[in-house]
Amino acid sequence: MAKPVFIHAAAALGPRGDTAKAERRTLHGDPPPLELKALVKTVVGVSLRQASHLVELAAIGSQLCIKRLPCPLPEDSAVYLGTGLAEVRKNEAVFRQVMPPGPGLASPFDFINAANNMAAFYVAKLANLRARNLTVSQEEHSFEWALHLAAADLRAGEIRQALVGGVDENSLSREGHLRRIALRDDQPMGEGSGWLVLSVDAEQARGELLEVKRVTRDADVAQALRAWQRPNESLTLLPGLRIEPSEVRHLVQALPGLHVQDYLGLCGGFHTAAAFGMAALFDAPVAPGLFVHLNRDASGHAMFCAVRVLPI
Amino acid sequence: MPAIHIRGLGLVSSYGRGVACAVEGVRAGRTGITPLSLFSLPFQNQIQVNQYDHAPFPPGSACATATMQAAAREALAEAQLDAAALRDAALIIGTSSFLFAGEADYRRTLADTGEAVMPPLPPPGQAALHVAGLLGIEGPVLTLSTACSSSANALLVAAAMLRRGEARRALVIGVEGLSAIALSGFHSLLLLDPEGCRPFDAGRRGMQIGEAVGAVLLEAGDATHSGDRLLGGANLCDTHHMTSATPDGSAMRSVMEMALADAGLQAADVAVIKAHGTGSLDNDTAESAAMRALFGDDLPPFTGIKRYLGHTLGACGAVELAVFLGCLRAGFVPPTAGFASPDPALRITPLAAMQSAPKGPAMLNFFGFGGNYASLLIAHG
Repeated sequence: MAKPVFIHAAAALGPRGDTAKAERRTLHGDPPPLELKALVKTVVGVSLRQASHLVELAAIGSQLCIKRLPCPLPEDSAVYLGTGLAEVRKNEAVFRQVMPPGPGLASPFDFINAANNMAAFYVAKLANLRARNLTVSQEEHSFEWALHLAAADLRAGEIRQALVGGVDENSLSREGHLRRIALRDDQPMGEGSGWLVLSVDAEQARGELLEVKRVTRDADVAQALRAWQRPNESLTLLPGLRIEPSEVRHLVQALPGLHVQDYLGLCGGFHTAAAFGMAALFDAPVAPGLFVHLNRDASGHAMFCAVRVLPI
Repeated sequence: MPAIHIRGLGLVSSYGRGVACAVEGVRAGRTGITPLSLFSLPFQNQIQVNQYDHAPFPPGSACATATMQAAAREALAEAQLDAAALRDAALIIGTSSFLFAGEADYRRTLADTGEAVMPPLPPPGQAALHVAGLLGIEGPVLTLSTACSSSANALLVAAAMLRRGEARRALVIGVEGLSAIALSGFHSLLLLDPEGCRPFDAGRRGMQIGEAVGAVLLEAGDATHSGDRLLGGANLCDTHHMTSATPDGSAMRSVMEMALADAGLQAADVAVIKAHGTGSLDNDTAESAAMRALFGDDLPPFTGIKRYLGHTLGACGAVELAVFLGCLRAGFVPPTAGFASPDPALRITPLAAMQSAPKGPAMLNFFGFGGNYASLLIAHG
């Protein structure tokens, strides 16, 4: 039988710099550009002078998550980071510098920070983690795959703890953002990061990660959701970015008693919003129950992330 | 636990299409250095590159997709499998960035219309689902982007998925195109050697960038069967600095030790090493220190192959595995092209002349920006 994997800490950073439930507000329209320098200094304790916006989002979220642990995160903890678009702003900067009619030379700092794994590097460096470090970047399901790889490596005994996150930045204007990520007119653009600390140790765990599962486009989603549910256990669906409202309505009809938690209203639309949604589950004490995140990729395949919130 | 068999290899490189032509070029001692014709740069005459022939492929970003397909089909053909064999396979792509594809589309638009309109820059994984669709792959699809260790890590993740039974086969593709942005960035960092890559040489001054696509088809199989196998490997983050290694090589040594442990091997079992060998001062110094510390007086022959192929960045894991394994299959270990004068500070020297392929396991090392390191152990024959 597969080893269970437990969630020990979580943190979510939203597009208004919100890091706790009391600070979260439903977005009505696109949030203004986020300035993170002050929050970096408060949370991380140092200035990240040359770091990109994406790195700042990852650094704040991951450090908050680590600080919520009851004990320090060991040095051999692995980092798994999902990012749908990776470095957008730094890549745009070097593109303008190098491509015609630009001057043709890249700024060294912009070039270094445009590396798509720099966020995961900073996360490890700030937490003093010298272990496995993987960045998954592929638009939809980037966070889900990062979570899957972490859980699988934990279950296989290859690592003892994992810091798993998802991070994406917006593109400063709705028009620019829409060229990269198709949003419905009623979806505000978003950015942020979400982080979980996982291990196979059950002691003081806040939740259990039951499974990260990919199913084909024609799979019976309602049946899959039922599979994890215990008798008399509440079931809450967290619909991801690419789940249409009609599919949610269909599931509500098919699964009497199903609760739906619209976290996207708090964080806006971005490829790794799933990380925000799952981490924000643990913002405050929440009644035990089963929570399942569902999202689809461009090919229609679905991925589930099933989490059981444990009694405190 | 099943063994991970390497069933097929595919390559598009500056030597042409196919692993065989690259191996023959290496055997003949020809480097794959070419003129840069894709675009012009203000410092064009100060660098050496490896550019593949784009004529057989469609222009713009579609070139990346077509080259990935070409490499994948070669790997399938070697395995004597048809496309249906990939239906439930995993596709794992490793690339440092897909900016080269955005650049290509931008240049086309600029040339066709005269308008300089920045396109939405493609994220690393943009092509993955498309390529999966073209190859009929319905299994897991993911893209790793960990700088120059990207496709080495893709091989490790693929092997882990096969061992866990998540797929029976996995196609790993490392892909990288020449990018004006990457060349300009490395030039700004003073990391390009005007004379081309000279791994572990006293006069080395930096890298030589190349473009290539490598495909490796892995399959879970019986551990008692012989043949080429991925024995194990490891990944580690060196948090010393964004772009340079811990100078004493301790992090590089650690990832090699972890890889040996994963493969169930001792340092003394390693018969030959394909070093990362970028030709940069820092990398080669730290890598030499790591090899000295780990292997001591029993350092097996080691070689660097980036002067042949160029440093293909995120693709180098799959590309260099394909070429190095191709050389071993052909019975030889290639000498370190570009190496001429030992650096006394390194206290070790790479292979300067071709030698016969030894029987034992080979270690392949890959070290990237962001301290992302990967080490692989393979068996051949």
